[in-house]
Amino acid sequence: MAGVIDDYVAALRRELDFDPPLAQRLASEVEDHLRDAAEADPAWPSADAERRAVGRFGLAREIAAQFAADAVDRQARRAWVTLGVTVIVTFVAMRLRVMWLDDNAMAALAPLIDRYAFIAALAVGVVGWFAFRRSFMTQAICLGGLVASVGAGIVRADLFAQGAPVHVLVAAAAEVALLGLLAFHVVGLGRRLRRTASLRR
Amino acid sequence: MLKGHLDAIVLAALEAGPAHGYAIIETIKSRSAGAFDLPEGTVYPALHRLEQAGLLSSAWTPPPGGRRRRVYSLTKAGTAALAEKRKAWGRFSQAVQTSLGGGRAWPA
Repeated sequence: MAGVIDDYVAALRRELDFDPPLAQRLASEVEDHLRDAAEADPAWPSADAERRAVGRFGLAREIAAQFAADAVDRQARRAWVTLGVTVIVTFVAMRLRVMWLDDNAMAALAPLIDRYAFIAALAVGVVGWFAFRRSFMTQAICLGGLVASVGAGIVRADLFAQGAPVHVLVAAAAEVALLGLLAFHVVGLGRRLRRTASLRR
Repeated sequence: MLKGHLDAIVLAALEAGPAHGYAIIETIKSRSAGAFDLPEGTVYPALHRLEQAGLLSSAWTPPPGGRRRRVYSLTKAGTAALAEKRKAWGRFSQAVQTSLGGGRAWPA
């Protein structure tokens, strides 16, 4: 039959399901802590000693919520760094495309989307950096703007049809790869924010 | 209020040498004469956060004839961060003390 400490450690492991390696590591660490605490209790060995040790430790859900909040901060940092790099690479790729293209050959709509979606993403990103650093929405809007800009840029330059120079193609490939990485981090941020909210409910 | 200073308190508890989570909590309790009666589990998110920030390092150590334990130690950056947090706290607490009318003028 599982003891009070075993039940508590199992509950903590469940609450930390958003980060399996952390759950694994913490389960062993917390179990050691609780056994030390229970053994220091005058009533040891008994279920009461284990219950008191668990009671002093705090609710598994609250501890998991603190870890989840820290995970949100780390994920937001990763997303912001990726966003910053993506913006720079997109700008450079955009300039390379413009330098390569004959301005007169541009279609009407694509250059507008290319330019203004990028500017919108940049503006939202700057405001978000100062005011909404943990916001999923800010990151999602920036991602949307950059996807529109890069997509329009590729269409504008007709990269698949024409014999574009290698440096233009490499820059476009870097843009697309970074957008994929950014999307991965933005989705991760959304997932961690939802988990933190559910643990605090 | 304590939560905002927990990282500094944990760093200070490790100043004397490496320790595991339970020993850190015991040090904090005894140093504060029981005034810091926070849930013991609160220390683990702080330890993890400080380790991620490079201020602590940790490793499993098998003690002779006992359970293996994850032991934390201050890194060089952690020692420097603790000194910085001490200075900041000194300035802050003196300013509060002065504002409350119980200390010498600030800045000294």
